[in-house]
Amino acid sequence: MIDPAYVEGFVKILFVCVIVTAAYIISTRNLLTLVSVYAAQSFILVLMALTLWAVEGSPVLLAIAGITFLSKVLIIPYFITSIQEKIRIKRDLRFHFLSPTTSLIISIGLMLVIYIALSRIAQETTGTSSLFFFGAVIGISLMMMGMMVTFSRKRAITKVLGYLTMENGVLLFGLFVTELPFIIEFLIIIDLIILVLLTTILTVGLDSTLEEYHQRIHRFYLWEDEEAP
Amino acid sequence: MSADFILYLIINTLIVVLVSPLFVSLVKKVKAWTQGRRGPSVFQTYFTLIKLLKKEVIYATGSSWVMRITPLVNIGALLVAALFVPLAFVPEPVAGIGNIILFLYLLALAKFFMALAGLDAGSSFGGMGSSREMSISAIIEPTTVIVFAALAFVFKSLNIFDMFATSATSGFLSTPTLILIGISLFIILIVETSRIPVDNPETHLELTMIHEGMILEQSGRNLALMELSAAIKLTLLMALLINLIVPFGLITVLSAAGLVAAIILFLIKGSILSVIIGLFESSMAKMRFFRLPSLFAMAFFFSTLIIIIEVFA
Repeated sequence: MIDPAYVEGFVKILFVCVIVTAAYIISTRNLLTLVSVYAAQSFILVLMALTLWAVEGSPVLLAIAGITFLSKVLIIPYFITSIQEKIRIKRDLRFHFLSPTTSLIISIGLMLVIYIALSRIAQETTGTSSLFFFGAVIGISLMMMGMMVTFSRKRAITKVLGYLTMENGVLLFGLFVTELPFIIEFLIIIDLIILVLLTTILTVGLDSTLEEYHQRIHRFYLWEDEEAP
Repeated sequence: MSADFILYLIINTLIVVLVSPLFVSLVKKVKAWTQGRRGPSVFQTYFTLIKLLKKEVIYATGSSWVMRITPLVNIGALLVAALFVPLAFVPEPVAGIGNIILFLYLLALAKFFMALAGLDAGSSFGGMGSSREMSISAIIEPTTVIVFAALAFVFKSLNIFDMFATSATSGFLSTPTLILIGISLFIILIVETSRIPVDNPETHLELTMIHEGMILEQSGRNLALMELSAAIKLTLLMALLINLIVPFGLITVLSAAGLVAAIILFLIKGSILSVIIGLFESSMAKMRFFRLPSLFAMAFFFSTLIIIIEVFA
């Protein structure tokens, strides 16, 4: 059997990596690396699920790792990258309400608040290990950081990536605190894939009538085989 | 003071002075490679320093004593600071040497005098350089303090010697927060040694230079001392990063074979880090001055996180 201390150390390193990727997603202006960082973050979650599976041996964890890998590491990033290639937006420079710097500083505050809030709950429920408590804090913080990305960016693609980050936070929380039934996990993934499909529509523009919209899709060469000139 | 410690003082100073120019040239070489040039030899900085040391010093008319003592204060402060960061061999600390707060203030002292000297000659470029350097310092200072506070928090000590001894005995990545500390220290290294994206060490373009602007009026052996102290600063911050994150090879008990191995290992690790710095610099464009705080905010974010995480777990 694997040494628990070793597992704890490894999971903590993964937590730190998750925070680093989240900070990058909040502060970057480069859209191309944003998607790969999102994929990396999802991959870290896969590793976490696999580690927990190695310790606890519950098959649900393995299934979660499997579908997360398929959907969030392979399909969704691939899809968003292909949209990006077609609409040729490389950078996101416009922000609502918060600049990346302020978002970073606010997220420190958020983490502190979440930590304080959760530690009160943890005091009442005895017997929670520090790792699981830590996982819950990071999970909710990741959700909040994703939320900040969603409302502080103007581009639809970044908004969607913020939403996906939020979902990663939910998954992280679910991995460590409550065990979500597998069917819910699966439905969430399907929702996400539909959401990313909808991104195409959002990216090209919701403000149009259906006829105009059709023309726009042609203009951006979306869903067509030929390349943009 | 034990014999070991006196030996340490001599060895450490010698290594720092001898190795620093090499790392500077190595960074330049890597940058040249990425631009498709052959670049100067890795010993070029030694040649430049020797050449400068032979040249006479010319002072601007109207410059005061500040101009004359600045190179000496600079090299003095940095050589003393060099004693605080063991490169290869960590002895028992003696008489407050190794205190991290004192270390920071020694660096600040050197920087303060450099800024004064920039103003002293009365040239407009020097003044611009000093003004920019001080603005950046004012912003980076809280971040630096938080990063070093986080270091002190993680290693439960204010002494760099103790930190290195702890990291040398506990091995690679003993606490995961070291990843975050590594990122923060790297950002501080980039800012403090005036590298891209904060400042460009190669430029003498009046619109962008910061560090070069301040030493524009220095000449001859004074310039050599300023260049050498900049190189020493780079080596010290690199050594801090290396010996905290990848401490293997660092010896705590003095032996001839161990020392040689430790020095060679340090050279290898330092060269790798220089290559990383070179690649990092080449992969970025210089940032607009008013966007710099976002870079510092990154370091601030990570170091605050370190403190939070250390409280959590």
